[in-house]
This record gives sequence, C-alpha cells and structure tokens, in this order.
Amino acid sequence: MNRFDQQWQKLTALARSAPAEPAAAAPHGFATRVAARAATAPLAPWAGFERVALRGLLVAAALGVAAIALNYSVIQSEPAEDFAATDAIPELLGIT
Amino acid sequence: MADDPFDFAGCLERVRQHDQAAARQLVEHLYPLVNRIVRSHLPRRVAVEDLAQDIFLKMFTRLEQYQGHVPFPHWVSRIAVTTCIDQLRAQQRRPEFRWADLSETEAEVLSNVMTDERDARPGEALAARELVHKLLAQLKPDDQLVIQLLDLEQRTIAEISALTGWNQTLVKVRAFRARRKLQKLFQELQGKEKS
Repeated sequence: MNRFDQQWQKLTALARSAPAEPAAAAPHGFATRVAARAATAPLAPWAGFERVALRGLLVAAALGVAAIALNYSVIQSEPAEDFAATDAIPELLGIT
Repeated sequence: MADDPFDFAGCLERVRQHDQAAARQLVEHLYPLVNRIVRSHLPRRVAVEDLAQDIFLKMFTRLEQYQGHVPFPHWVSRIAVTTCIDQLRAQQRRPEFRWADLSETEAEVLSNVMTDERDARPGEALAARELVHKLLAQLKPDDQLVIQLLDLEQRTIAEISALTGWNQTLVKVRAFRARRKLQKLFQELQGKEKS
C-alpha cells in the first residue's frame, strides 16, 4: 500500500465514523402523489422487449448469415460489368 | 432487509391489480432506502425528493420486468443507483477544485491526513465525510460510484457488480483508475497548499 492509499484509507475511515443520517420517512403526501402519477403513467415501452431482445438479435444475425450463404453462388456469378450496363445515368446524359 | 417483515409479494400482487393503497404502502416502506441511496451518491444541492419520485415512477413502470430472482429492495436499489448515475452524468462538469473550496475544518482534516501529524479530533468525522464527497465530486460519475460503494459503504466487488450490472473485472479496473485520479487530485491540492 503506497502513501496515498494509506492517506485515503485514513480519510475514508474517518468519514465512515461520522454518525449516520437518520432514516427519513417519506414527506407528507409523497407516497399518495407518486402512486397517483404511477397509476396514470404508461408502462415502459420496452417492457417485455428486453427479455427477447438478445435472442432476437441472435436470430436476426443467424438469418443474415444464412441468407448470404444461400445466395453466395448468385452473388459470385453476377459480373460487375452488369452494373455499368444497366446504369441509366450515362444513357440519360447521352454518354456512351 | 433480509429480515424485513414487510409482505412484498402480497403488496406487489395488489399493486399489479391497481391497488392505490398498496402502491402508497410500497413507496412509504421503500422511501428510507431510496432516500439513503440518493443522499449518499449525489451532492447535497440535488433535490432528493424529485429524484426519489423519478426512481419510484421507474419502479412502477418496470414492475412487470421484476421476476423475483432477487429480493425486491435489491431490485429497487439497482434502479436507484442507475438513476443516480444518470443524474450525475447529466450534471455539468465541476470547476477546478481549490483549497479555498474547503471549510476550515475540512482543510484541517485534509492537511492532517496528508501530513500524518496527529490522530483525528472528535467532531472531525462529519467534516471528513463532506470532504470525501467534495473530492469524489471531481471524478466521473462511474468513478464516484465505485469509490463510494467500495471505500465508504465497504461493499464487496461482487455486491457492486450485482448493484451496477458491471462485471467484477470492470469494477476492479474502475476502482483502480478512480484511486489514481484521486491520488493526482491529492498531489495537486498539496502543491496548491504549499504555493
């Protein structure tokens, strides 16, 4: 333990020895106000989603990989020149 | 809270059936816990009641997510702690800390800690607590939280991990970095005191 650690431990030990603040009861009317507001507040929109979000993400990733794998041969077979051949801009501008 | 005789299961069941009286009971029962967490993690200038209200509203809106895997007060504590972190993040960065920011007693306590001159006098404990809060306020919210839980509340790494959702390695790393920042702050203060 270095010098600073000793100083810090001494300071925090002293701070911990301070008398604890008394446990405060809820102010008058606080619980009624909060309960009334909670009754009108909508449920968190993500409630329920959190539980399935990770599973959903994994399924989506698996589907993505499967889609690429299934279409890999098609992607490979399409020549890059096709893009140029079907590019409408040169045709519109009259550039050949 | 382990020996808490309050019937959480019954109360929560009634709250789920939109029983307003049960909701009030729940808030009144948990208020001291939430109040303690807010007061120990946030500067005195923050309105405790407003933040406590936010925490309870979050508790009610997320009630369907509570699965009963942990005691209900622990679940609420976690909401309270994360809400405090969000509040700290939203606050503007504090200006540079100066020796003149300390009260006379706080400066004495700090000077004594730094020089190891004498044992603490009675009555210096409160000043030490205020001083620690002022020093912690100079750190980033996550660093403040980890030091507060580790060094002031003397929670274990596992407890902090459960309370914050951070893994244990992250808790250790954050604590190490936070202490190094505090060390730098101490050194700066010592330099200012001498000058």
